[in-house]
Amino acid sequence: MSTAVATEPHRHATAEKPYRLSFAHLLRGEWIKFWSVRSTIWTLGVFLVATVGLVVLISLAYVNAPSPEQGGPPDASDALGPLMFAVTLGQLAVAVLGALTITSEYTTGMIRSSLTAAPKRLPVLWSKAIVLVVAVFGAALVAVAAGTALQSLFFDSKGLSVDFSDPDMIRPLVGTAVYLATIALFSFALGALMRHSAAAIATVLGLLLVAPILFGSIPWKPLTYMFPFLPGVAGQQLTQTDAQLEVAAASSPIGADLTAWQGYGVLVLWVVVVLGVAAILLKKRDA
Amino acid sequence: MIEAHDLTKRYGTKLAVDGISFTVQPGRVTGFLGPNGAGKSTTMRMIVGLDKPTHGSVTVNGKRYAEHHSPLTQVGALLEAKAVHTGRSARNHLRAIAATHGIGDKRVNEVISMTGLDTVAKRRVGGFSLGMGQRLGIAAALVGDPQTLILDEPVNGLDPEGVLWVRNLVKYLAASEGRTIFLSSHLMSEMAVTADHLIVIGRGKIIADGPVDSVIAQATRATVRVRSPQATDLAARLAGPAVTVTPAEDGLLEIHGATAVEVGEIAAKHGFVLHELTPMSGSLEEAYMSLTSESVEYHSAALPGEESAPHGAHAATAAPTTGEDAR
Repeated sequence: MSTAVATEPHRHATAEKPYRLSFAHLLRGEWIKFWSVRSTIWTLGVFLVATVGLVVLISLAYVNAPSPEQGGPPDASDALGPLMFAVTLGQLAVAVLGALTITSEYTTGMIRSSLTAAPKRLPVLWSKAIVLVVAVFGAALVAVAAGTALQSLFFDSKGLSVDFSDPDMIRPLVGTAVYLATIALFSFALGALMRHSAAAIATVLGLLLVAPILFGSIPWKPLTYMFPFLPGVAGQQLTQTDAQLEVAAASSPIGADLTAWQGYGVLVLWVVVVLGVAAILLKKRDA
Repeated sequence: MIEAHDLTKRYGTKLAVDGISFTVQPGRVTGFLGPNGAGKSTTMRMIVGLDKPTHGSVTVNGKRYAEHHSPLTQVGALLEAKAVHTGRSARNHLRAIAATHGIGDKRVNEVISMTGLDTVAKRRVGGFSLGMGQRLGIAAALVGDPQTLILDEPVNGLDPEGVLWVRNLVKYLAASEGRTIFLSSHLMSEMAVTADHLIVIGRGKIIADGPVDSVIAQATRATVRVRSPQATDLAARLAGPAVTVTPAEDGLLEIHGATAVEVGEIAAKHGFVLHELTPMSGSLEEAYMSLTSESVEYHSAALPGEESAPHGAHAATAAPTTGEDAR
């Protein structure tokens, strides 16, 4: 073949072109992709409206509830309670977004364009993940800020407002945004692994919503022991104050006592394992 | 330049591509011809690294595709299946792909105009017709201004104007700019007017590799097949300035430039025993059919001037006919 190489015309020199594949360029490409489909706008929109709306509605329910002595809920004085409830539902929207970010490329065939542009493959996965995490973290910060601000505005007089001057409050508030971004990433990892929208979304909803109910209600020892290590349950430790965590640890049937960051670490471990397997398979499988 | 060496792809038990070796040279349009399922798309997917070869290797300009620092300026590929998110507009699709290589909107607008997508660029791709989708695929392939262009069935679904445009574009890029063009099709007629060089593939194996003229000439020239126990002597008797005799296998001759009538009469005059005398000729379409169906022996003959000899000849014996001109 060496003779053939020698006769190759070099009129068209690619070396002179400034175009070059780089990670920064990939991030830019993924950023354009992320914001140019409707599913992003829809899921983030639903997330923002649902989270902020639920914080206000649940706060309203709290201040109108009878006191615990009169049979009301025990945590009606907990200023973070409404946000936690809202996040439990709002996380479903970011989970759907996380899965769709990657599975929609497989269902439409777009992944072939993406992997042709970046044939080393793994940078595609990482850049997508970074864009998703940054966007969801930003949206979650907005939701947390708007929800708690409205809560303070409407219900401060009823004693149900988040005290922003309390340093113990900052970690759960920012932690909520961190948790939501991580859940989006966990869902993304499942999507990358399964390459199928419905399968990935069903799995992540099962782990976040159904598994905690099943594991918490079935009185079988192994399930009871696994319960604190479910991704949603463990990760949500980060959204609670240390005081709340102490109360929860005291009532744990198995004496589980994970700190906020230990709990979050468990969620990160889930993400690392699933994303790691997805990365290996992305490298190995045909696209 | 694309160089494939012993390229093999196996899906489960099915051998889609069976140890093929070929070279696609710059400066000319190389057609990749074969029936559906022959392995064209799989081969092209392996070139850009979407499928991993089970065995063998393929390089573009001396390196595996994935090892290039700027893949999209090396190779632009339009592959068979749609590879576009249906919810995204054509323009954003191209912008996203271009952005991965730091290619700006100026070039994106250029390829949109080139491919005639101006009026629909802001529409979502999901509503595109087959032809529009094809134009978008070509636009995506061109966005990096690539050295090598790989187009899988590019004229599929295009209107006559689009077909002509693709034909002129690839010819221009190859002839005037010295780029490498690798074009697949199952339409022999389109290939005949577009390609300079043909690689014909069937059931995962290459059955012809040569300049278009010689592939067509080889496949359509009237050939007479003679089987005789005295083949060597008969060959000497038949050969002449206008007649070429190619010994194919033991006792079998292929004769170009003489009719079956002439061959039969010469044989009778000199008392040669014939076991078979078959006149063979065909139209372009027939030639293609016979090239790509394994039961015919055309693929056993090496094309003149080609280093890569086709695979082992296993000629199926046609029903012997004697003496008469079967036409």
